[in-house]
Amino acid sequence: MNAIIDPIVLYVGLAVGALGVLIALPRRGVNPQLIGIVLAAAGFGAVIGVLAYLGAQAGESLSVFFYVFAAIALLSALRVVTHQRPVYSALYFILTILASSALYLLVGSEFMAFALIIIYAGAILITYLFVIMLATQAPTEQDVGIMSPYDAYAREPVAATATGFVLLAVLTGMFATGVPRVAATGDAGAGLREDPALLVHLPGRVIRGLEGRDVFSVFEKPERGELVDGEGPVELDLERGVVGLMLREGGDELLARRLAEETRDVRFAELFIGVGGEGGPGLPPAGVVAAGGPVLVGLPEDVAPTNLDGVGWTLVAGHPVTLEVAGVILLMALLGAVVLARKQIELGEDEKEAAARLASHGGTFGGPSSGPDAFAASVGPNTAPPGEPARSTPAEGTPSSSLEDRRE
Amino acid sequence: MTTACAAISLAGWAAQAASGAPASVLGPEPGAAIGAVVEPGLGPIGLYHYLFLAASLFVIGVIGFISRRNMIIMFLCTEIMFQAAAIALIAFSRFHLNHDGEVFVIFVLTIAAAEAALALALVVLLFRRKESLDSAEWAQLKG
Repeated sequence: MNAIIDPIVLYVGLAVGALGVLIALPRRGVNPQLIGIVLAAAGFGAVIGVLAYLGAQAGESLSVFFYVFAAIALLSALRVVTHQRPVYSALYFILTILASSALYLLVGSEFMAFALIIIYAGAILITYLFVIMLATQAPTEQDVGIMSPYDAYAREPVAATATGFVLLAVLTGMFATGVPRVAATGDAGAGLREDPALLVHLPGRVIRGLEGRDVFSVFEKPERGELVDGEGPVELDLERGVVGLMLREGGDELLARRLAEETRDVRFAELFIGVGGEGGPGLPPAGVVAAGGPVLVGLPEDVAPTNLDGVGWTLVAGHPVTLEVAGVILLMALLGAVVLARKQIELGEDEKEAAARLASHGGTFGGPSSGPDAFAASVGPNTAPPGEPARSTPAEGTPSSSLEDRRE
Repeated sequence: MTTACAAISLAGWAAQAASGAPASVLGPEPGAAIGAVVEPGLGPIGLYHYLFLAASLFVIGVIGFISRRNMIIMFLCTEIMFQAAAIALIAFSRFHLNHDGEVFVIFVLTIAAAEAALALALVVLLFRRKESLDSAEWAQLKG
Protein backbone atom coordinates (compact mmCIF):
# COMPACT_ATOMS: atom_id res chain seq x y z
CA MET A 1 0.00 0.00 0.00
CA ASN A 2 1.16 3.47 -0.73
CA ALA A 3 1.04 6.28 1.74
CA ILE A 4 -2.60 7.21 1.65
CA ILE A 5 -2.96 9.74 4.41
CA ASP A 6 -1.06 12.93 4.88
CA PRO A 7 0.97 12.29 8.04
CA ILE A 8 0.08 15.73 9.39
CA VAL A 9 -3.64 14.95 9.21
CA LEU A 10 -3.14 11.55 10.79
CA TYR A 11 -0.98 12.72 13.66
CA VAL A 12 -3.02 15.83 14.34
CA GLY A 13 -6.16 13.70 14.42
CA LEU A 14 -4.53 11.29 16.83
CA ALA A 15 -3.27 14.13 19.00
CA VAL A 16 -6.76 15.58 19.25
CA GLY A 17 -8.05 12.13 20.09
CA ALA A 18 -5.39 11.73 22.77
CA LEU A 19 -6.30 15.06 24.29
CA GLY A 20 -9.94 14.07 24.31
CA VAL A 21 -9.28 10.71 25.97
CA LEU A 22 -7.07 12.42 28.53
CA ILE A 23 -9.80 14.89 29.40
CA ALA A 24 -12.43 12.17 29.49
CA LEU A 25 -10.58 9.96 31.96
CA PRO A 26 -12.08 10.25 35.43
CA ARG A 27 -10.25 12.59 37.76
CA ARG A 28 -10.65 14.45 41.00
CA GLY A 29 -12.45 17.77 41.04
CA VAL A 30 -13.68 19.15 37.75
CA ASN A 31 -14.58 16.34 35.42
CA PRO A 32 -15.41 17.61 31.92
CA GLN A 33 -15.99 14.18 30.46
CA LEU A 34 -18.40 15.32 27.79
CA ILE A 35 -15.89 17.74 26.31
CA GLY A 36 -13.26 15.01 26.31
CA ILE A 37 -15.53 12.56 24.55
CA VAL A 38 -16.47 15.09 21.89
CA LEU A 39 -12.79 15.88 21.35
CA ALA A 40 -11.88 12.22 21.11
CA ALA A 41 -14.73 11.67 18.67
CA ALA A 42 -13.45 14.57 16.59
CA GLY A 43 -9.94 13.12 16.55
CA PHE A 44 -10.99 9.60 15.56
CA GLY A 45 -13.64 10.97 13.24
CA ALA A 46 -11.09 13.06 11.36
CA VAL A 47 -8.96 10.03 10.54
CA ILE A 48 -11.96 7.86 9.64
CA GLY A 49 -13.35 10.71 7.56
CA VAL A 50 -10.14 10.95 5.57
CA LEU A 51 -10.25 7.19 5.04
CA ALA A 52 -13.86 7.47 3.88
CA TYR A 53 -12.92 10.23 1.46
CA LEU A 54 -10.13 8.10 0.03
CA GLY A 55 -12.40 5.11 -0.26
CA ALA A 56 -15.03 7.09 -2.09
CA GLN A 57 -12.41 8.44 -4.47
CA ALA A 58 -11.19 4.94 -5.18
CA GLY A 59 -14.75 3.94 -5.98
CA GLU A 60 -14.87 1.74 -2.95
CA SER A 61 -17.26 3.41 -0.59
CA LEU A 62 -18.18 1.50 2.50
CA SER A 63 -21.69 1.29 3.76
CA VAL A 64 -22.79 4.22 5.87
CA PHE A 65 -23.63 1.73 8.57
CA PHE A 66 -19.93 1.09 8.97
CA TYR A 67 -19.44 4.64 10.16
CA VAL A 68 -22.44 4.48 12.45
CA PHE A 69 -21.37 1.28 14.12
CA ALA A 70 -17.70 2.21 14.19
CA ALA A 71 -18.66 5.39 16.03
CA ILE A 72 -20.81 3.47 18.48
CA ALA A 73 -18.07 0.91 19.08
CA LEU A 74 -15.35 3.48 19.62
CA LEU A 75 -17.31 5.79 21.85
CA SER A 76 -18.86 3.10 23.96
CA ALA A 77 -15.40 1.57 24.42
CA LEU A 78 -14.30 5.01 25.53
CA ARG A 79 -17.16 5.08 28.00
CA VAL A 80 -16.12 1.67 29.33
CA VAL A 81 -12.74 3.14 30.10
CA THR A 82 -13.93 6.47 31.43
CA HIS A 83 -17.15 5.71 33.27
CA GLN A 84 -16.86 5.89 36.99
CA ARG A 85 -19.43 3.25 37.78
CA PRO A 86 -18.37 -0.33 36.96
CA VAL A 87 -21.89 -1.51 36.12
CA TYR A 88 -22.23 1.17 33.50
CA SER A 89 -18.82 0.24 32.15
CA ALA A 90 -19.98 -3.32 31.68
CA LEU A 91 -23.19 -2.19 30.01
CA TYR A 92 -21.26 0.06 27.65
CA PHE A 93 -19.05 -2.88 26.83
CA ILE A 94 -22.15 -4.78 25.77
CA LEU A 95 -22.85 -1.87 23.44
CA THR A 96 -19.33 -2.22 22.03
CA ILE A 97 -19.96 -5.90 21.44
CA LEU A 98 -23.26 -5.27 19.68
CA ALA A 99 -21.69 -2.61 17.46
CA SER A 100 -18.77 -4.82 16.51
CA SER A 101 -21.04 -7.72 15.74
CA ALA A 102 -22.90 -5.36 13.41
CA LEU A 103 -19.54 -4.61 11.82
CA TYR A 104 -18.99 -8.34 11.34
CA LEU A 105 -22.37 -8.54 9.65
CA LEU A 106 -21.43 -5.71 7.32
CA VAL A 107 -18.59 -7.79 5.89
CA GLY A 108 -20.81 -10.82 5.65
CA SER A 109 -19.40 -12.79 8.54
CA GLU A 110 -22.73 -13.63 10.05
CA PHE A 111 -21.76 -16.73 11.97
CA MET A 112 -19.16 -14.93 14.04
CA ALA A 113 -21.50 -11.98 14.52
CA PHE A 114 -24.12 -14.06 16.25
CA ALA A 115 -21.59 -16.20 18.06
CA LEU A 116 -20.10 -13.00 19.40
CA ILE A 117 -23.41 -11.77 20.75
CA ILE A 118 -24.23 -15.12 22.31
CA ILE A 119 -20.84 -15.72 23.88
CA TYR A 120 -19.82 -12.21 24.84
CA ALA A 121 -23.00 -10.34 25.58
CA GLY A 122 -24.79 -13.45 26.74
CA ALA A 123 -22.21 -15.28 28.79
CA ILE A 124 -19.04 -13.38 29.54
CA LEU A 125 -20.57 -10.01 30.26
CA ILE A 126 -23.23 -11.52 32.49
CA THR A 127 -20.43 -13.08 34.52
CA TYR A 128 -18.81 -9.68 34.75
CA LEU A 129 -22.03 -8.10 35.92
CA PHE A 130 -22.47 -10.79 38.55
CA VAL A 131 -18.98 -10.25 39.88
CA ILE A 132 -19.33 -6.47 39.84
CA MET A 133 -22.47 -6.73 41.92
CA LEU A 134 -20.95 -9.42 44.14
CA ALA A 135 -17.75 -7.54 44.83
CA THR A 136 -19.10 -4.12 45.64
CA GLN A 137 -19.82 -2.92 49.09
CA ALA A 138 -23.40 -1.93 49.62
CA PRO A 139 -23.56 1.82 50.20
CA THR A 140 -24.44 2.83 53.71
CA GLU A 141 -27.01 5.45 54.59
CA GLN A 142 -24.75 8.47 54.51
CA ASP A 143 -22.66 7.76 51.44
CA VAL A 144 -25.27 6.87 48.87
CA GLY A 145 -23.99 8.23 45.59
CA ILE A 146 -20.40 8.40 46.71
CA MET A 147 -18.13 6.29 44.57
CA SER A 148 -15.27 4.20 45.82
CA PRO A 149 -12.05 6.16 45.46
CA TYR A 150 -10.60 3.58 43.12
CA ASP A 151 -13.43 4.20 40.68
CA ALA A 152 -13.58 7.93 41.10
CA TYR A 153 -10.29 8.87 39.52
CA ALA A 154 -7.79 7.33 37.18
CA ARG A 155 -4.24 6.39 37.99
CA GLU A 156 -1.60 8.14 35.87
CA PRO A 157 -3.96 9.37 33.13
CA VAL A 158 -1.29 11.34 31.30
CA ALA A 159 1.19 8.50 31.12
CA ALA A 160 -1.50 6.03 30.11
CA THR A 161 -2.87 8.23 27.35
CA ALA A 162 0.58 9.04 26.06
CA THR A 163 1.53 5.35 25.97
CA GLY A 164 -1.65 4.41 24.25
CA PHE A 165 -1.59 7.04 21.59
CA VAL A 166 2.07 6.65 20.78
CA LEU A 167 1.26 2.98 20.26
CA LEU A 168 -1.67 3.96 18.04
CA ALA A 169 0.50 6.36 16.07
CA VAL A 170 3.02 3.60 15.44
CA LEU A 171 0.28 1.16 14.51
CA THR A 172 -1.44 3.51 12.10
CA GLY A 173 1.77 5.03 10.85
CA MET A 174 1.55 2.78 7.81
CA PHE A 175 -1.30 4.92 6.56
CA ALA A 176 1.17 7.75 6.27
CA THR A 177 4.33 5.88 5.36
CA GLY A 178 3.03 3.05 3.26
CA VAL A 179 3.76 -0.68 3.21
CA PRO A 180 4.02 -3.08 0.29
CA ARG A 181 0.72 -3.37 -1.47
CA VAL A 182 -1.50 -6.36 -1.01
CA ALA A 183 -3.78 -7.17 -3.90
CA ALA A 184 -7.36 -7.97 -3.10
CA THR A 185 -8.67 -11.26 -4.32
CA GLY A 186 -11.81 -11.02 -6.34
CA ASP A 187 -13.01 -7.83 -7.91
CA ALA A 188 -13.55 -5.16 -5.32
CA GLY A 189 -16.67 -3.14 -5.79
CA ALA A 190 -18.64 -5.94 -7.32
CA GLY A 191 -18.74 -7.55 -3.94
CA LEU A 192 -16.75 -10.53 -2.84
CA ARG A 193 -18.05 -13.99 -2.39
CA GLU A 194 -17.16 -17.03 -0.44
CA ASP A 195 -14.44 -19.06 -2.01
CA PRO A 196 -16.25 -21.17 -4.61
CA ALA A 197 -13.55 -23.79 -4.58
CA LEU A 198 -14.98 -24.81 -1.23
CA LEU A 199 -17.84 -26.41 -3.17
CA VAL A 200 -15.47 -29.16 -4.17
CA HIS A 201 -15.63 -30.28 -0.56
CA LEU A 202 -19.36 -29.88 -0.30
CA PRO A 203 -20.90 -32.04 -3.03
CA GLY A 204 -24.04 -32.50 -1.00
CA ARG A 205 -24.68 -28.81 -1.24
CA VAL A 206 -24.36 -28.84 -5.02
CA ILE A 207 -26.64 -31.81 -5.33
CA ARG A 208 -29.28 -30.29 -3.06
CA GLY A 209 -29.14 -27.00 -4.93
CA LEU A 210 -29.56 -28.66 -8.28
CA GLU A 211 -32.31 -30.90 -7.03
CA GLY A 212 -34.36 -27.88 -6.08
CA ARG A 213 -34.19 -26.69 -9.67
CA ASP A 214 -35.63 -29.84 -11.10
CA VAL A 215 -32.60 -30.52 -13.23
CA PHE A 216 -30.98 -33.05 -11.05
CA SER A 217 -32.73 -35.76 -12.96
CA VAL A 218 -30.07 -35.16 -15.58
CA PHE A 219 -27.72 -37.00 -13.37
CA GLU A 220 -30.12 -39.61 -12.25
CA LYS A 221 -32.09 -40.57 -15.31
CA PRO A 222 -29.77 -40.42 -18.28
CA GLU A 223 -31.37 -41.29 -21.56
CA ARG A 224 -29.00 -40.34 -24.35
CA GLY A 225 -25.31 -39.87 -24.41
CA GLU A 226 -24.77 -36.96 -26.71
CA LEU A 227 -24.05 -33.62 -25.13
CA VAL A 228 -23.29 -30.43 -27.01
CA ASP A 229 -21.88 -27.19 -25.92
CA GLY A 230 -24.54 -24.53 -25.71
CA GLU A 231 -22.65 -21.46 -26.82
CA GLY A 232 -19.47 -22.48 -28.48
CA PRO A 233 -16.15 -22.98 -26.76
CA VAL A 234 -16.10 -21.56 -23.26
CA GLU A 235 -12.95 -21.23 -21.31
CA LEU A 236 -12.72 -23.04 -18.08
CA ASP A 237 -11.83 -20.65 -15.32
CA LEU A 238 -10.09 -22.88 -12.87
CA GLU A 239 -9.33 -20.10 -10.44
CA ARG A 240 -12.97 -19.45 -9.75
CA GLY A 241 -13.49 -22.99 -8.71
CA VAL A 242 -14.64 -25.90 -10.75
CA VAL A 243 -17.11 -28.47 -9.69
CA GLY A 244 -17.17 -31.51 -11.83
CA LEU A 245 -20.32 -33.53 -12.06
CA MET A 246 -20.43 -36.44 -14.42
CA LEU A 247 -23.41 -37.10 -16.55
CA ARG A 248 -23.74 -40.81 -16.85
CA GLU A 249 -23.45 -42.53 -20.14
CA GLY A 250 -26.48 -41.51 -22.12
CA GLY A 251 -27.46 -38.23 -20.47
CA ASP A 252 -30.39 -36.06 -21.45
CA GLU A 253 -29.22 -33.34 -23.80
CA LEU A 254 -32.40 -31.33 -23.46
CA LEU A 255 -32.24 -31.16 -19.70
CA ALA A 256 -28.58 -30.34 -19.80
CA ARG A 257 -29.25 -27.47 -22.17
CA ARG A 258 -31.94 -26.19 -19.89
CA LEU A 259 -29.56 -26.30 -16.98
CA ALA A 260 -26.98 -24.44 -18.99
CA GLU A 261 -29.41 -21.74 -20.07
CA GLU A 262 -31.08 -21.32 -16.73
CA THR A 263 -27.86 -20.59 -15.03
CA ARG A 264 -25.79 -19.04 -17.76
CA ASP A 265 -25.83 -15.57 -16.30
CA VAL A 266 -24.86 -16.68 -12.88
CA ARG A 267 -21.27 -17.44 -13.47
CA PHE A 268 -20.62 -18.28 -9.93
CA ALA A 269 -18.60 -21.35 -10.57
CA GLU A 270 -18.17 -23.48 -13.56
CA LEU A 271 -20.02 -26.69 -13.46
CA PHE A 272 -19.38 -28.89 -16.37
CA ILE A 273 -21.27 -31.89 -17.33
CA GLY A 274 -19.31 -34.30 -19.32
CA VAL A 275 -19.61 -37.74 -20.67
CA GLY A 276 -16.61 -39.84 -19.92
CA GLY A 277 -14.34 -36.95 -19.02
CA GLU A 278 -10.63 -37.55 -18.73
CA GLY A 279 -8.48 -37.19 -15.70
CA GLY A 280 -10.48 -37.75 -12.58
CA PRO A 281 -14.17 -37.47 -11.95
CA GLY A 282 -15.32 -35.54 -14.97
CA LEU A 283 -12.41 -33.15 -15.12
CA PRO A 284 -11.43 -32.54 -18.72
CA PRO A 285 -8.22 -30.73 -19.59
CA ALA A 286 -8.69 -27.01 -19.14
CA GLY A 287 -9.84 -25.18 -22.22
CA VAL A 288 -10.94 -28.25 -24.12
CA VAL A 289 -14.59 -27.63 -24.66
CA ALA A 290 -15.99 -28.81 -27.91
CA ALA A 291 -19.22 -30.06 -29.33
CA GLY A 292 -19.99 -33.34 -27.78
CA GLY A 293 -17.76 -32.45 -24.87
CA PRO A 294 -18.65 -31.05 -21.51
CA VAL A 295 -21.11 -28.21 -21.21
CA LEU A 296 -20.19 -25.27 -19.06
CA VAL A 297 -22.91 -23.97 -16.90
CA GLY A 298 -22.92 -21.71 -13.92
CA LEU A 299 -24.08 -22.98 -10.62
CA PRO A 300 -27.27 -21.45 -9.29
CA GLU A 301 -26.65 -18.66 -6.87
CA ASP A 302 -28.21 -20.43 -3.94
CA VAL A 303 -25.65 -23.16 -4.21
CA ALA A 304 -22.87 -20.75 -3.35
CA PRO A 305 -21.30 -21.66 -0.04
CA THR A 306 -22.30 -19.34 2.75
CA ASN A 307 -20.18 -17.97 5.51
CA LEU A 308 -21.46 -20.70 7.79
CA ASP A 309 -20.30 -23.37 5.38
CA GLY A 310 -16.90 -21.77 5.18
CA VAL A 311 -16.40 -21.35 8.90
CA GLY A 312 -17.69 -24.81 9.65
CA TRP A 313 -15.55 -26.47 7.06
CA THR A 314 -12.41 -24.60 8.01
CA LEU A 315 -12.97 -25.13 11.70
CA VAL A 316 -13.54 -28.86 11.53
CA ALA A 317 -11.40 -29.78 8.56
CA GLY A 318 -8.59 -27.32 9.00
CA HIS A 319 -8.15 -26.98 12.73
CA PRO A 320 -9.51 -30.07 14.47
CA VAL A 321 -6.69 -30.32 17.00
CA THR A 322 -6.94 -26.66 17.88
CA LEU A 323 -10.62 -27.12 18.46
CA GLU A 324 -9.93 -29.94 20.88
CA VAL A 325 -7.28 -27.88 22.64
CA ALA A 326 -9.74 -25.01 22.97
CA GLY A 327 -12.19 -27.38 24.63
CA VAL A 328 -9.51 -28.57 27.04
CA ILE A 329 -8.60 -24.97 27.86
CA LEU A 330 -12.21 -24.19 28.67
CA LEU A 331 -12.43 -27.26 30.86
CA MET A 332 -9.27 -26.30 32.74
CA ALA A 333 -10.62 -22.80 33.21
CA LEU A 334 -13.84 -24.22 34.58
CA LEU A 335 -11.99 -26.41 37.06
CA GLY A 336 -9.64 -23.58 37.96
CA ALA A 337 -12.49 -21.20 38.62
CA VAL A 338 -14.22 -23.78 40.80
CA VAL A 339 -11.07 -24.42 42.79
CA LEU A 340 -10.36 -20.72 43.22
CA ALA A 341 -13.85 -19.64 44.15
CA ARG A 342 -14.43 -22.59 46.49
CA LYS A 343 -11.97 -21.25 49.03
CA GLN A 344 -13.77 -20.60 52.28
CA ILE A 345 -13.72 -17.24 53.95
CA GLU A 346 -13.40 -17.11 57.70
CA LEU A 347 -16.79 -16.69 59.26
CA GLY A 348 -17.21 -14.19 62.02
CA GLU A 349 -18.70 -15.33 65.34
CA ASP A 350 -22.13 -13.95 64.50
CA GLU A 351 -22.33 -15.70 61.18
CA LYS A 352 -21.18 -18.96 62.76
CA GLU A 353 -23.94 -18.70 65.30
CA ALA A 354 -26.49 -17.94 62.66
CA ALA A 355 -25.28 -20.86 60.58
CA ALA A 356 -25.45 -23.20 63.55
CA ARG A 357 -28.97 -22.02 64.36
CA LEU A 358 -30.06 -22.63 60.81
CA ALA A 359 -28.36 -26.01 60.78
CA SER A 360 -30.18 -27.11 63.90
CA HIS A 361 -33.37 -25.96 62.26
CA GLY A 362 -32.54 -28.14 59.30
CA GLY A 363 -33.02 -25.34 56.82
CA THR A 364 -31.27 -25.60 53.52
CA PHE A 365 -30.29 -21.95 53.47
CA GLY A 366 -27.58 -22.42 56.05
CA GLY A 367 -25.61 -19.23 55.75
CA PRO A 368 -23.16 -18.26 53.08
CA SER A 369 -21.12 -21.44 53.34
CA SER A 370 -23.74 -24.06 52.57
CA GLY A 371 -23.76 -23.50 48.82
CA PRO A 372 -20.09 -24.15 48.12
CA ASP A 373 -20.04 -27.03 50.57
CA ALA A 374 -22.96 -28.70 48.91
CA PHE A 375 -21.10 -28.35 45.67
CA ALA A 376 -17.94 -29.76 47.18
CA ALA A 377 -19.87 -32.76 48.45
CA SER A 378 -21.10 -33.47 45.00
CA VAL A 379 -17.66 -33.00 43.45
CA GLY A 380 -16.12 -35.70 45.54
CA PRO A 381 -14.85 -36.60 48.97
CA ASN A 382 -11.25 -35.63 48.25
CA THR A 383 -12.03 -31.98 47.71
CA ALA A 384 -13.82 -31.54 51.02
CA PRO A 385 -11.55 -29.88 53.55
CA PRO A 386 -10.81 -32.25 56.41
CA GLY A 387 -11.21 -29.74 59.20
CA GLU A 388 -14.89 -29.05 58.65
CA PRO A 389 -16.85 -32.10 59.60
CA ALA A 390 -20.54 -31.35 59.80
CA ARG A 391 -21.17 -28.28 57.72
CA SER A 392 -22.49 -30.06 54.68
CA THR A 393 -25.11 -31.98 56.58
CA PRO A 394 -27.84 -29.36 56.35
CA ALA A 395 -27.64 -29.44 52.60
CA GLU A 396 -28.71 -33.05 52.45
CA GLY A 397 -32.45 -32.94 52.34
CA THR A 398 -33.68 -33.99 55.75
CA PRO A 399 -37.34 -34.51 56.54
CA SER A 400 -37.44 -31.29 58.52
CA SER A 401 -36.27 -29.30 55.50
CA SER A 402 -39.08 -30.63 53.41
CA LEU A 403 -41.37 -29.74 56.29
CA GLU A 404 -40.11 -26.17 56.10
CA ASP A 405 -40.65 -26.09 52.39
CA ARG A 406 -44.24 -27.06 52.91
CA ARG A 407 -44.66 -24.39 55.53
CA GLU A 408 -43.51 -21.79 53.02
CA MET B 1 -22.30 10.48 23.54
CA THR B 2 -25.09 10.32 21.01
CA THR B 3 -24.03 13.54 19.35
CA ALA B 4 -20.46 12.36 19.20
CA CYS B 5 -21.60 9.12 17.55
CA ALA B 6 -23.55 11.11 15.03
CA ALA B 7 -20.54 13.35 14.47
CA ILE B 8 -18.22 10.48 13.53
CA SER B 9 -20.74 8.84 11.24
CA LEU B 10 -21.59 12.13 9.60
CA ALA B 11 -17.89 12.77 9.06
CA GLY B 12 -17.63 9.53 7.14
CA TRP B 13 -20.67 10.17 5.05
CA ALA B 14 -19.86 13.79 4.37
CA ALA B 15 -16.40 12.85 3.21
CA GLN B 16 -17.89 10.35 0.80
CA ALA B 17 -20.31 12.93 -0.52
CA ALA B 18 -17.58 15.57 -0.81
CA SER B 19 -15.48 13.33 -3.01
CA GLY B 20 -18.12 13.46 -5.71
CA ALA B 21 -18.68 9.74 -5.78
CA PRO B 22 -22.28 8.61 -5.41
CA ALA B 23 -22.70 8.00 -1.72
CA SER B 24 -24.03 4.54 -1.34
CA VAL B 25 -26.28 3.76 1.55
CA LEU B 26 -26.20 0.01 1.42
CA GLY B 27 -22.64 -0.57 0.39
CA PRO B 28 -21.46 -1.70 -3.03
CA GLU B 29 -24.01 -2.32 -5.72
CA PRO B 30 -25.14 -5.91 -5.79
CA GLY B 31 -24.04 -8.10 -8.62
CA ALA B 32 -25.63 -7.90 -12.01
CA ALA B 33 -27.33 -11.23 -11.82
CA ILE B 34 -31.01 -11.01 -11.05
CA GLY B 35 -31.86 -12.43 -7.70
CA ALA B 36 -28.25 -12.80 -6.77
CA VAL B 37 -27.47 -11.65 -3.28
CA VAL B 38 -23.85 -10.68 -3.26
CA GLU B 39 -22.19 -10.23 0.05
CA PRO B 40 -20.51 -6.90 0.51
CA GLY B 41 -16.83 -7.45 0.50
CA LEU B 42 -13.78 -5.61 1.64
CA GLY B 43 -11.40 -3.81 -0.62
CA PRO B 44 -8.09 -2.34 0.48
CA ILE B 45 -9.54 0.93 1.70
CA GLY B 46 -12.30 -0.89 3.52
CA LEU B 47 -9.66 -3.03 5.16
CA TYR B 48 -7.89 0.11 6.34
CA HIS B 49 -11.14 1.33 7.88
CA TYR B 50 -11.43 -1.85 9.89
CA LEU B 51 -7.77 -1.86 10.82
CA PHE B 52 -7.91 1.70 12.07
CA LEU B 53 -10.99 0.88 14.10
CA ALA B 54 -9.29 -2.20 15.54
CA ALA B 55 -6.14 -0.30 16.43
CA SER B 56 -8.14 2.47 18.09
CA LEU B 57 -10.19 0.02 20.13
CA PHE B 58 -7.04 -1.81 21.18
CA VAL B 59 -5.42 1.40 22.30
CA ILE B 60 -8.49 2.48 24.23
CA GLY B 61 -8.27 -0.88 25.98
CA VAL B 62 -4.60 -0.35 26.74
CA ILE B 63 -5.25 3.10 28.15
CA GLY B 64 -8.02 1.77 30.33
CA PHE B 65 -5.92 -1.14 31.56
CA ILE B 66 -3.13 1.20 32.58
CA SER B 67 -5.17 3.97 34.06
CA ARG B 68 -8.12 2.36 35.82
CA ARG B 69 -7.66 1.08 39.33
CA ASN B 70 -10.69 -1.13 39.65
CA MET B 71 -9.59 -4.70 38.94
CA ILE B 72 -12.86 -5.62 37.24
CA ILE B 73 -12.59 -2.67 34.87
CA MET B 74 -9.01 -3.65 34.15
CA PHE B 75 -10.15 -7.06 33.01
CA LEU B 76 -12.98 -5.48 31.05
CA CYS B 77 -10.32 -3.48 29.22
CA THR B 78 -8.52 -6.69 28.28
CA GLU B 79 -11.81 -7.82 26.79
CA ILE B 80 -11.84 -4.64 24.69
CA MET B 81 -8.38 -5.55 23.46
CA PHE B 82 -9.54 -9.07 22.57
CA GLN B 83 -12.42 -7.52 20.71
CA ALA B 84 -10.11 -5.25 18.74
CA ALA B 85 -7.97 -8.20 17.73
CA ALA B 86 -11.07 -10.10 16.68
CA ILE B 87 -12.23 -7.23 14.47
CA ALA B 88 -8.84 -7.13 12.75
CA LEU B 89 -8.92 -10.90 12.26
CA ILE B 90 -12.40 -10.80 10.76
CA ALA B 91 -11.44 -7.95 8.45
CA PHE B 92 -8.36 -9.78 7.20
CA SER B 93 -10.31 -12.98 6.84
CA ARG B 94 -12.92 -11.28 4.67
CA PHE B 95 -10.30 -9.38 2.72
CA HIS B 96 -8.52 -12.55 1.73
CA LEU B 97 -11.71 -14.59 1.51
CA ASN B 98 -10.24 -17.15 3.78
CA HIS B 99 -12.04 -18.54 6.77
CA ASP B 100 -9.00 -19.18 8.90
CA GLY B 101 -9.23 -15.73 10.43
CA GLU B 102 -12.81 -16.27 11.46
CA VAL B 103 -11.97 -19.63 12.94
CA PHE B 104 -9.23 -17.95 14.89
CA VAL B 105 -11.80 -15.56 16.31
CA ILE B 106 -13.59 -18.60 17.72
CA PHE B 107 -10.41 -19.46 19.58
CA VAL B 108 -10.06 -15.86 20.72
CA LEU B 109 -13.55 -16.10 22.16
CA THR B 110 -12.58 -19.34 23.88
CA ILE B 111 -9.57 -17.74 25.47
CA ALA B 112 -11.63 -14.73 26.45
CA ALA B 113 -14.19 -16.95 28.15
CA ALA B 114 -11.51 -18.90 29.99
CA GLU B 115 -9.80 -15.69 31.00
CA ALA B 116 -13.04 -14.20 32.25
CA ALA B 117 -13.82 -17.27 34.33
CA LEU B 118 -10.38 -17.43 35.95
CA ALA B 119 -9.82 -13.71 36.31
CA LEU B 120 -13.19 -13.12 37.87
CA ALA B 121 -12.70 -15.98 40.29
CA LEU B 122 -9.39 -14.38 41.25
CA VAL B 123 -11.02 -10.98 41.63
CA VAL B 124 -13.66 -12.42 43.94
CA LEU B 125 -10.93 -14.09 45.96
CA LEU B 126 -8.88 -10.91 46.21
CA PHE B 127 -11.95 -8.90 47.10
CA ARG B 128 -12.69 -11.24 50.00
CA ARG B 129 -9.21 -10.68 51.36
CA LYS B 130 -9.13 -6.89 51.33
CA GLU B 131 -12.76 -5.86 50.86
CA SER B 132 -11.61 -3.62 48.05
CA LEU B 133 -11.17 -3.87 44.31
CA ASP B 134 -8.33 -1.39 44.17
CA SER B 135 -5.36 -2.93 42.41
CA ALA B 136 -3.08 -0.62 44.38
CA GLU B 137 -4.03 -2.55 47.51
CA TRP B 138 -1.86 -5.35 46.26
CA ALA B 139 1.16 -3.17 45.67
CA GLN B 140 3.12 -5.00 48.34
CA LEU B 141 3.27 -8.03 46.07
CA LYS B 142 6.78 -7.58 44.81
CA GLY B 143 8.06 -10.47 42.78
